[in-house]
Amino acid sequence: MRGWGYRLKDRGPGISPGMRGWSHGRRIKEEVISPVSEPVSTDSTDKKILTMADAVPGKKYRITGIHGGCKLNSRLCAMGFVPGEVFHVSGASAGGPVCVVIKGTKFAIGRGMAERIQVVEEK
Amino acid sequence: MGEKEITIALAGNPNSGKTTIFNNLTGMRQHVGNYPGVTVEKKTGVVEYKGYRINVVDLPGTYSLTAYSEEEIVARNFIVNERPDVVVDVIDTSNLERNLYLAVQLMELNTPLVLAFNMVDVARKAGKIINTELLSELLGVLIVETIGSKGVGSQELLEAVIKTVNTGIKKKVEIKYGDEVENEIAKIMAVLEEQKIPTFNFSIRWIAVKLLEQDADIIEKIKKEAGEKYQDIEKVVNSSINHITSIMRNTPEVIIADARYGFIKGALMESYKEVTREEMDRSGVEPDKSEKIDRILTSRISGIPIFLLIMWLMFQFVFTLGKYPVGWLEIGFEKIGVLIGNIITHDLIRSLIVDSIIGGVGGVITFTPNMILLFLAIAILEDSGYMARAAFVMDRVMHKIGLHGKSFIPLIIGFGCTVPAYMGSRILENKKDRLVTMHINTFMSCGARLPVYVLFAGAFFPAIAGNVIFSIYLIGVLMAIIMARVLRATRFKGESEPFVMELPAYRMPTFKGLFIHTWERTWMYLKKAGTIILAMSILIWILFTFPVIGDNYSQDYKGQIEEVELLCSSGEITVDEYNSTVSEIEAKMAGERLAYSSAGRIGHFLEPVFKPLGFDWKMSVATVSGIAAKEMIVSTMGTLCSIEDSDVLSTSEGAGEESGSLKEALGKDYTPLVGYNFMLFTLLYFPCASAMAVFRKEAGIKEMLFQIGYTLLLAWTVSFLVFQIGSLFI
Repeated sequence: MRGWGYRLKDRGPGISPGMRGWSHGRRIKEEVISPVSEPVSTDSTDKKILTMADAVPGKKYRITGIHGGCKLNSRLCAMGFVPGEVFHVSGASAGGPVCVVIKGTKFAIGRGMAERIQVVEEK
Repeated sequence: MGEKEITIALAGNPNSGKTTIFNNLTGMRQHVGNYPGVTVEKKTGVVEYKGYRINVVDLPGTYSLTAYSEEEIVARNFIVNERPDVVVDVIDTSNLERNLYLAVQLMELNTPLVLAFNMVDVARKAGKIINTELLSELLGVLIVETIGSKGVGSQELLEAVIKTVNTGIKKKVEIKYGDEVENEIAKIMAVLEEQKIPTFNFSIRWIAVKLLEQDADIIEKIKKEAGEKYQDIEKVVNSSINHITSIMRNTPEVIIADARYGFIKGALMESYKEVTREEMDRSGVEPDKSEKIDRILTSRISGIPIFLLIMWLMFQFVFTLGKYPVGWLEIGFEKIGVLIGNIITHDLIRSLIVDSIIGGVGGVITFTPNMILLFLAIAILEDSGYMARAAFVMDRVMHKIGLHGKSFIPLIIGFGCTVPAYMGSRILENKKDRLVTMHINTFMSCGARLPVYVLFAGAFFPAIAGNVIFSIYLIGVLMAIIMARVLRATRFKGESEPFVMELPAYRMPTFKGLFIHTWERTWMYLKKAGTIILAMSILIWILFTFPVIGDNYSQDYKGQIEEVELLCSSGEITVDEYNSTVSEIEAKMAGERLAYSSAGRIGHFLEPVFKPLGFDWKMSVATVSGIAAKEMIVSTMGTLCSIEDSDVLSTSEGAGEESGSLKEALGKDYTPLVGYNFMLFTLLYFPCASAMAVFRKEAGIKEMLFQIGYTLLLAWTVSFLVFQIGSLFI
């Protein structure tokens, strides 16, 4: 999230790229809880970007990016959610948290968070 | 020979079996406390081994050493500030890659480290082959294989600890994060050195890495140390972050984490093999038992019904089963009270010992069976792995009111008794979630409030008493939902913990684990909450006893009793008549005593406050006495009504079911609107003094005062509106 969000903000007038707003403690929090800003498509294809929240059981996916703000990213990484990692969904409940198996461990992950993890389908 | 004292800290992921290892090492020689300033449990224990006195500190279970949660900061600070001689990282061998992530972070801290490869039997069974010797060589740390559930490997672990203490770190392993990141680390290190920033006990490289990772705790510390100079550092750090993000297409913390996993993968490449991995991957779903159980327990259709069933069973287990020992204890303490009461002749001292001390101790002890059963139930849910599923299943519902899935469990307990409900809130790791859950728990009508509802609903709405009581329960739940949202939006705004939770494999809880879990929590309750509850009951006794009425009764009751005695002995009235007349007079005396005491005076004094709610002074006094325990409202109303209405006997004390005459008296004195309003007030204002004592223990005095303040305000406002608006129509 930060990667995307900041690059957009940094274009704004008067904000030098070096300042990035970290001195404003409150902004960090807002960054963490705000929903993901529409990620800029990094692929040349026009296909909709998949997130972990879109994953369905029976298929396998690979994580390509995590955009949850630095605190959340660190947490997710520590649990094994890192780019390049392959996972599958285990009985997701509609609307509620998603159940994924990653690095051999099952995790329940909130939908809001799952939406911030970009994935691609693994063939 | 003098003993050598060393301290070791146990670190490890949640569900790695850390607690079992801790129990194996220290047995029952444990001490549970809190880390100063936070509600994170701190467990310590001692083990004597080969002339060493080894202090074992159980750090909270964490996935990493970032500043993500209170637990992680506590663990990190302990390692850095207290400098344990060795850190033992307990690792779930079935999940090496993820578990070693924490180990790598510990290695980055340059702390002497021993790895305990726990549950190695399970891993082997699953076809995982580990060359621990080679891995130990590669990582530069000693590795011990353990099977916590069978007590295997504890001695070897202690041997490894002592060996590490004596030899120090054998080989320093430095993790490289790749050229791009390393360049930026060098730049940050340069600016830190240039500015001569103190690095506390950390290495300067470590600080630089943490700044790149935007570790909130470290940023705060550096900011404080650097003062004005921080701007320069920030500039460098931010340009580094921008640089890495633009080149690597991911933020530094992700890149750094990736490098750590890369290091782990590299180390595992030669030392670790999985036989069944490919087969498991091909099928897409691992065919183990946990998966099968989960298909039922967390399914969209059966998940919630099963959860509710388990909650119902737990409630029955804690309160229905607990009722029996609680009853025996109550009778026991009553007997002791009578016994001692007979020995002591001085009225006041007898009252102090029997009513306040024995009553207070009894109050603490009689809660204990419920506590033991509750803690046991929670331990079973936790150790078996169901707790995480419960949170998962309920998260969708609870999320809507801004709470965590797990909040549901203490809230259910609250219908039985608020005291264990507050204690049960401990299962919530996030502080805000925990506090909000505690603050709304009071609206779950506890068992002690039921007699009040039974009495009032029976008095004013005899035909529909059941429905009326149900409506009160329902209003409580609605109020909890509303207040949860309000609190979440105001005082506990922001950072609701995002939901990521490991769903560990189901495990059979061990008897030893359950026992230790239950025992230590019960002991903590007795020790901490018990002393405060006791002090409270003495305070309440003082309020209800002083000033002593002495001979200041409005009538010469003693003379009246003597008269009746004369009549009885001369045979003019029967013994039955005598008994009923005397208890009538005694009830009047009790009422006057209460009205004369501080509590009664406070009630009288507060009457103007309660007037706009339609309450008179009796209700006001009863409300005050409800602070001692909500069921006291019934007996107080009984006592007070007996002053004016001689039909009401003090037999109304206690349950309230037989208090037919009290119901009549209430029906005469008050309108149904006031009666209903009083029930509402009883529902909404904070629970009893014991509960507040526990609240203070769990959340600090500030939160306790907030709880008291806001519930009183809410109760008053709601009752005010109901009475004022209701009066317009009725």
